[in-house]
Amino acid sequence: MTTLTKNNEDKLVALASIAAELHTVMNVAYGVSLAAKNAKVISAQAGEKGLGFQPITDFIDEISQLAINGVSTINDNALKLSKISVHEQRSYDAYQRFQSVIKKNKDAAYIGSLAPSMVRIENHMIDSFKDFKNSMKDLFVLLEDMDKHMLSARAIASVSRVVTSDTQEFRSKLDVVANDLDDAAIFIKEKVSDSYEHLDHVKNLTRKHA
Amino acid sequence: MKVTKIFDKNHQWFMFGRDPEKPESIIDTNQYMIVAGERALLMDPGGIEVFAPMLGAILHHARADQVTDLFASHQDPDIISSLGLWDQALPEAKLHAPWIWEGFIRHFGMNNIEYVGIPDEGSTIDLGSLTLELIPAHYLHASGNYHVYDPIGKVLMSGDVGAALETPEGPIYVDDFEEHTSRMKMFHQRWMPSNRAKNDWISRVRNLDIEYMAPQHGRVFKGDDVTRFLDWFEELEVGTAVANNN
Repeated sequence: MTTLTKNNEDKLVALASIAAELHTVMNVAYGVSLAAKNAKVISAQAGEKGLGFQPITDFIDEISQLAINGVSTINDNALKLSKISVHEQRSYDAYQRFQSVIKKNKDAAYIGSLAPSMVRIENHMIDSFKDFKNSMKDLFVLLEDMDKHMLSARAIASVSRVVTSDTQEFRSKLDVVANDLDDAAIFIKEKVSDSYEHLDHVKNLTRKHA
Repeated sequence: MKVTKIFDKNHQWFMFGRDPEKPESIIDTNQYMIVAGERALLMDPGGIEVFAPMLGAILHHARADQVTDLFASHQDPDIISSLGLWDQALPEAKLHAPWIWEGFIRHFGMNNIEYVGIPDEGSTIDLGSLTLELIPAHYLHASGNYHVYDPIGKVLMSGDVGAALETPEGPIYVDDFEEHTSRMKMFHQRWMPSNRAKNDWISRVRNLDIEYMAPQHGRVFKGDDVTRFLDWFEELEVGTAVANNN
């Protein structure tokens, strides 16, 4: 097995692992979004007493939407990287077979006519490599953004506990929402961290055959 | 890859097959190429495993850019699974293949080559100095299936019809028809599903003037052996897997 083939296989596994890590995040983010909507209803029922909590429930809703949209974008990017890897592998496979044809058929009258196809594949592989590197950079940025959002989510969970302590009547219900948000943020941060490691592995593999 | 020129006048027919480097576990296949002036047609170009030997063999007889057209009689992997590689070698080419298989054949990878769907009633391929007829052979064995007839060279590329399970050492031409039927019988009984389709094809093909019948597996039929084959095939009951299970 060639180095590029093995590298590409490892890359595809790592990229699929990112999608798998983030699939669970999506479910959690949907859960938080639902909890935030419930919290909004609770704060509305609280009338004036719940007014202080309303911006926080709005924020929880917003952050859960950011997580849902962010995960979706990250998955799209991971899928794009997988597709580039597959195309790269196919081009490389063709290139190797063309090389084998040239090596074994040096005496063929028209062996030179294969040259334009070889050049085209070489250019395609160079373009794919650039495209892969750029998409990988985008994915790193997206993961970093998601990590920051989850830090904000944890901060808002702490604030919401303080606020809920002033609204005794609804404290227990709103405490549950704050705890759910905190747990979700911790979980998502872990998954983002794991995804980051997978992507770092992809980066190292890419560097190896650069 | 062994190359045999089976017709050589104003245009040439080449047969590629009996590849000694082919893995034993895959069925031996015959690929064909017509070179007509500045254009060439590659017929049933084969599977991924035979791509490199095929391309190498072709380049002894034609330039890569001369191969402007490909033909796939049907969708099977031994016919056209190399498409993703031809797509990178011959990006300007056209693939003539059954219209019903387009969505399936594209799974082999086709980003550059143009798919020209052959209608049910058949069609032609115009190579400039030579026009070839695409003869319907539906259900022999695929539900959308065609053969290529060259009225000038009197050659019929007959896909899986006339096929035989052959060793890589087997001769190119049928030399003893009766003896050869033992290599064809099971293949036709099991792979051909319909007696009605078989008889319909035979009645149409009997009207063609055929000197060479060139199947995708096994040996090429010459002269009277073509008629002998048609008579033998007419008598043979096919679709036997169903009959045997009832």
